[in-house]
Amino acid sequence: MASLIFQIMVDSLLLGGVYTLMAVGLSLAFGVTRIINFAHGDVVMYGAYAAFFAFVGLNVDPLLSLVFVAVLGGIGGYLLFKLTLDRILDAASINQVLLTFGLGLVLQNVAVILWTGDERSTTPSYAFDSWFISDDVVVAKGRLIAFGLAIAFVVLLLAWLRWSELGRATRAVSQNRAAASLMGINVRAMYGLSFALSTAFGTATGAIMSFLLPITPFMGFPILVKAFAIIILGGLDSIVGTVIGAFFLATAETTIAYVVPQGIGWAEGVAFFLLVMVLIARPNGILGTVGRDA
Amino acid sequence: MYLSRSSLMVAFSVLATVALPAMGHAQDTIKIGAPLSISGKFVSYGAAAKRGVEMAVDIYGGKIGNKKIEVLFRDTQSDPQVTVNSFTQLLVEEKVNFLIGPIATPMAMAGLPAWRRTKALWVVPGATTPLLEEEAGKEPMLFHTFPYAYYYHLSLARSLREKLGPGKTVAIIYSDDAYGREHLPYAQKYFTQEGFKIVAEELVRSGATDLNPVLAKIRRVKPDILLGVVQTTDGIQLTKQVYVQRLNIPYLVGTAYPQLKQWQDASGDAQEGWVGVTTYIPGMKAKADPKYPKLFMDSDAWIAEFTKRYNRVPEFIDVGAYVSTCMLLIAIENAGGVDDKEKVAEELKKLDVSTMIGRGHFEPSIGGTLNQAFADVVVHQRVKGTDAILFPKEFETADKLEQATYAK
Repeated sequence: MASLIFQIMVDSLLLGGVYTLMAVGLSLAFGVTRIINFAHGDVVMYGAYAAFFAFVGLNVDPLLSLVFVAVLGGIGGYLLFKLTLDRILDAASINQVLLTFGLGLVLQNVAVILWTGDERSTTPSYAFDSWFISDDVVVAKGRLIAFGLAIAFVVLLLAWLRWSELGRATRAVSQNRAAASLMGINVRAMYGLSFALSTAFGTATGAIMSFLLPITPFMGFPILVKAFAIIILGGLDSIVGTVIGAFFLATAETTIAYVVPQGIGWAEGVAFFLLVMVLIARPNGILGTVGRDA
Repeated sequence: MYLSRSSLMVAFSVLATVALPAMGHAQDTIKIGAPLSISGKFVSYGAAAKRGVEMAVDIYGGKIGNKKIEVLFRDTQSDPQVTVNSFTQLLVEEKVNFLIGPIATPMAMAGLPAWRRTKALWVVPGATTPLLEEEAGKEPMLFHTFPYAYYYHLSLARSLREKLGPGKTVAIIYSDDAYGREHLPYAQKYFTQEGFKIVAEELVRSGATDLNPVLAKIRRVKPDILLGVVQTTDGIQLTKQVYVQRLNIPYLVGTAYPQLKQWQDASGDAQEGWVGVTTYIPGMKAKADPKYPKLFMDSDAWIAEFTKRYNRVPEFIDVGAYVSTCMLLIAIENAGGVDDKEKVAEELKKLDVSTMIGRGHFEPSIGGTLNQAFADVVVHQRVKGTDAILFPKEFETADKLEQATYAK
């Protein structure tokens, strides 16, 4: 029994790390721009493909290519923002939803045309390695790395938001757009920067997913759904809330999958039911402020 | 109403310009509709089928008698609603009498109601789950040219029983989608029939990120065999996680995915020892058909021809679509090159050819499909990066089943 509880804890933590990676970029972009990027899952997918081609073409480990993939993702995200989102920032929400949703479909279809629907994956040695803590408790090394990186990403992001000038400006825009503008902050530049950071996180996440999940042009949508649920649960504009939401969902899913017979089939449904319950109790999510009066 | 002579002449000229080429076109071509998933999630199936159909028409010479063969490809986009539209457009607007495709069961099932409107001669080189058989197996115009799921499990259970002997235990992991749920009863039936004891049946959610909870449960029952009844994407995830978790189950068995290059590339070292089923795998040696050696050539010659054209190794759907199209074209020619589905169906039923995937001949299936060709399933195992063929005897290249390897 003790080993079962320990294994549930280990698996929940590791899955929570994966979920954090999926959601943190989405949360950052929404927190500042107030636009939900429905193409975020597809951004992750492009990061996974970039890491895959670096791995098979140039023999570069995904953990190394992650840095370049993130930089490219950031540049790509900034260009995407300037070319599309920047023009509809003041438009109706439905237009913004349709635009990002449409962008996602375009990105997905371009990926099918370029790379077909074949499944791919990077195969670094650590993706196949594991540690046995006891006879029953196993830690997959690839997931542990993902967990470590998720924590590192979040800490870096929070540090940047708290202690850097640009980070503080980003927070100011997130908290009150009009006041930030009056203080001389270039609001649109902050939007662009946040979106670029969000896509950089997204593509970096893709590089990590490249050895954890099969890479296909269709991998983005399930990631988006999961990430969306997590940021709603945690609070749409809160990075810390997103982390809490990710670990809450991961723990709920893992526990149900272990404890309930045929539980893995139920896990997602029950986890989302819990999500609904939490939202009934706290409509803005665990730590969210969106919807409250500023 | 009065029409001048010049008006009448103009009207006649316009009519002649529009109608005559169309009439000539109708007489000079044999139209075959090909609703395939050329985009969307089943694109790998649709793209392979398209290659097979195109290559068959090309090698056939592009003509039957004096009539040009025109294949009308329609992209179902892996979407049931678009599939319905594709079928309707081909059958009602284009009035095709011959259809080939789609491959994936959901798309074939989506097209079925539209197909019933005209009941064109329909060759289906896919749709492995027997839903199509249950709904339309008794239809005389349906020609199914791919083994149904139960043939997979029948062949797997027989070959494993033959190689491992009696008294072994099996744990089954199946996905919560149509594929897993449709396959499960056949896996249960044939493995039990061959004397295996099923000690666990675990459901996994299709697309699940984490299979550890299921694997932990299976670890506790210590089966001799793990059977993973899932599709390719989940198959990759299962293969990697079984390896990482070091389940130490001696024999790992999948369905169709271990034959696929994308599964092999994505699974890395974890693929070693996995057993799979297919209709075709490189390494199967088949001689050319004595009557149609240009179409059903020696398997090595065919692979070389395919590789030259597409710069890739053929997979089972490439071969299946090629062979199915060739059989349809031969039947049309044998029927006198007519656009008459009844006559062509009669010729198709008479056909008996030796192909790269075995004997091409229609007969009733176990489950009741009237016209079923290619029920022989090959069982193979990934050994040191290549495929050892375990079953049937005529293609066998290994007589021993190897145990799976795990991360050290």
